[in-house]
Amino acid sequence: MFLRVQLPLLLTFLAGLIPIVAFFFTEKARLVKVPNDRLEKWMIIIAGFAIMLGVVNVVQGNIRKIERKGPGWHYAIFLLIGLVLPGSFGLLGAFNVGPFHGISPHADGSPSPFSFFVSYVFQPLQATMFSLLAFYVASAAFRAFRVRNLEATILLLAAVVVMLGRIPLGESLFAWIPGGKLALGTFTEWLMNNPNTAAQRGIMIGAALGAASLSLRVILGIERSYLGLEKD
Amino acid sequence: MEGFLHFNLQRANAFVLFLLFCTLILWFIRAARTRQDLFIRKIAGLNAIDEAVGRATELGRKVLYVPGISSIDENQTIASLAVLSHVARMTARYNTELDVPNKDPLTFASARETVKEAYIQEGRPDLYNDSIVHYVTYDQFAYTASVAGIMMRERPATNFLIGSFAAESLLLAETGQASGAIQIAGTAEIAQLPFFVCACDYTLIGEELYAAGAYLSRDPAMLGSIKGQDWTKALVGLAIIVGTLAATTGLFDLARLFRAR
Amino acid sequence: MAKIKEGGLSTALQQLDRRWIFLLVAVGAILPILFPIGLSVTVTPPVRDLFDRIESLTPDDVVMVSFDYGPTTKPENGPMAAAVLRHCLARRVKVVVLALFPIGGGAMATEELDRVAAEFPTLRYGTDFVNLGYKDGGQASMKQMGEDIARVFPSDSRGTPLSRLPLMQKVRNYRDIKLVVSLATGIIGDWWINLINAQFGTPVAVGCTAVSAPKFYAYYDSHQMIGLLGGLKGASEYERLLLDAYPQVKPVYDNPMIFNAMRGMDVQTIIHAIIIGFIIIGNVAYFLGRSRAARV
Repeated sequence: MFLRVQLPLLLTFLAGLIPIVAFFFTEKARLVKVPNDRLEKWMIIIAGFAIMLGVVNVVQGNIRKIERKGPGWHYAIFLLIGLVLPGSFGLLGAFNVGPFHGISPHADGSPSPFSFFVSYVFQPLQATMFSLLAFYVASAAFRAFRVRNLEATILLLAAVVVMLGRIPLGESLFAWIPGGKLALGTFTEWLMNNPNTAAQRGIMIGAALGAASLSLRVILGIERSYLGLEKD
Repeated sequence: MEGFLHFNLQRANAFVLFLLFCTLILWFIRAARTRQDLFIRKIAGLNAIDEAVGRATELGRKVLYVPGISSIDENQTIASLAVLSHVARMTARYNTELDVPNKDPLTFASARETVKEAYIQEGRPDLYNDSIVHYVTYDQFAYTASVAGIMMRERPATNFLIGSFAAESLLLAETGQASGAIQIAGTAEIAQLPFFVCACDYTLIGEELYAAGAYLSRDPAMLGSIKGQDWTKALVGLAIIVGTLAATTGLFDLARLFRAR
Repeated sequence: MAKIKEGGLSTALQQLDRRWIFLLVAVGAILPILFPIGLSVTVTPPVRDLFDRIESLTPDDVVMVSFDYGPTTKPENGPMAAAVLRHCLARRVKVVVLALFPIGGGAMATEELDRVAAEFPTLRYGTDFVNLGYKDGGQASMKQMGEDIARVFPSDSRGTPLSRLPLMQKVRNYRDIKLVVSLATGIIGDWWINLINAQFGTPVAVGCTAVSAPKFYAYYDSHQMIGLLGGLKGASEYERLLLDAYPQVKPVYDNPMIFNAMRGMDVQTIIHAIIIGFIIIGNVAYFLGRSRAARV
């Protein structure tokens, strides 16, 4: 019971309290600053090692899938190859083993095995996924922006103004009016700086207070679901 | 004693506000334990959870729960796990398949504990297995591709997208929309909210997400903290109005009192 | 008959297969890359503010440039990173580069710094600019640098201890930094404002993706950040300012093999026009359907 409930709650309490107290003291207050620095260092180390947890789970899950010949088990083989190959390039490169010298491109500009993988496989795949956003934004806008009522109309008009104001085409649309070239851009900036900022701040303040309230519940052990614990 | 001599006076205002905030929250928590009539407004997105899980049960399809892409040091993730706990209890109760893919390893470990405990609490540990909560990858877009794949191949009846999201929010929400799933989203990431509002059936906005755990558990202490938070917000609102009036009329600069270094 | 046709058209348009939209967007993205239009850009205040702040610095000042993005948003963040680095080095302002984005942040920092620094052969690594590399730990690492950068980065990206780099002998923590520019894809940009500007008072500017630009206006407006580059548009404005003030960088921006934001604006223009077109089509179909329903 102590290890399962009291100890995690005590650790949470201390890990939450120490940075708060440290925030209110100067650097000379070593009594609070030293534990706080130590805590921050531990966080960096734990964050680094935590990735091993995930890797072990991925390997276990996919080996199990291959053993059971579950649906799509062939893909699990490719996944494991994709995990092991670049991973070993990186590890061997970091320790300068044989031809796997370094993880960055070599001094003459030629790629190391790991950097080759990063530049010609990883980066293009990443950019491709992100660029899908343009397609999805278009389809979501087509579906969502309808003049259903007054609010929806205002939303639509604001969206169109900002979209036009963010491109040179919008500027040239009004260029025939004296001073019109800058009008749309100026109006867009006004929309972003005023109505947009006002709404953002409202949500930000509410969310910040919500986050602070949740933090307090966590530190005091009132909110425990993230530990897999229910209230007594 | 030595430590207290080095109190950072430049942050004295932040300290006073911190004490005020804590006092309000703790006072309302205490009040909530004795009173049972605390009013918390209805949150449509949270009320819809039961209906959404029920739909998956009727259709015999799975519930997909995406707890965001951040680690457990992010408050939104903790709030998301509170909702996950509720969802897992429902899927355990109705024997509905649940799938929780993870991007962050620490969130993964916590989510697994949360779901396991929910199944035990519902008296259905037999239905729990480790593959319900699984790890995918640390990479944001590889994770997105994997979850979008689950949405299109396995066609979950209900998708929960609750937690901290970044650019993948629309990719996931649009894919889920195309797959015909009912979608409940929630995030405090302001930039992602418009995407969720466009593509999901319900969206928890900012503080609604943080209140979710308290709202769903109906625990008086937790609800009390929401009440305290609301009063703090009212005070902040009042300070904004007074500050704006004072600055406009040139009487005094209230903002100066709130500047902390 | 006319009613059926009208109803059929509005239903067909409202339920348009999204693959048609995808196809048009793809064509709209590819054509301007093959056939550049060369549209001009006008400069907005948030971009000019950052430019002017760097212009006000002297060669003794140090700017910290944090690469808080990965390969995913390279088309948006890359041009702004290159422009800011190019501006600093052209003014002989000292630059300390680091990366906090876990996947590919370090690679982005090395790639951009190496490319831009090569344009300034008289500047020396270690004296005029330094690449600290990547460090995990997010907020914890950022806060630790407020005490001592060398405790977070004991050595640079090449493995050289910081104590052996002349520039880093002069830079201990944020007090020695005149400006932090975070090129961010996610929440790390917020952290620089909420933690570093709030707690250490260091001026911060953020170059972010267009999608996250709206939230940064709140910080810009309240002077928690001194400048903002929002997406490709912000980057193209910065390039415009740089070209006007430093004509010697023109060959880089004229090189068709190097992608820049001004060229990217052609694509953005066409895509925005397509999206607006689809919004109009969707609404026409919606009204046709509604008037038909009212008549029935």
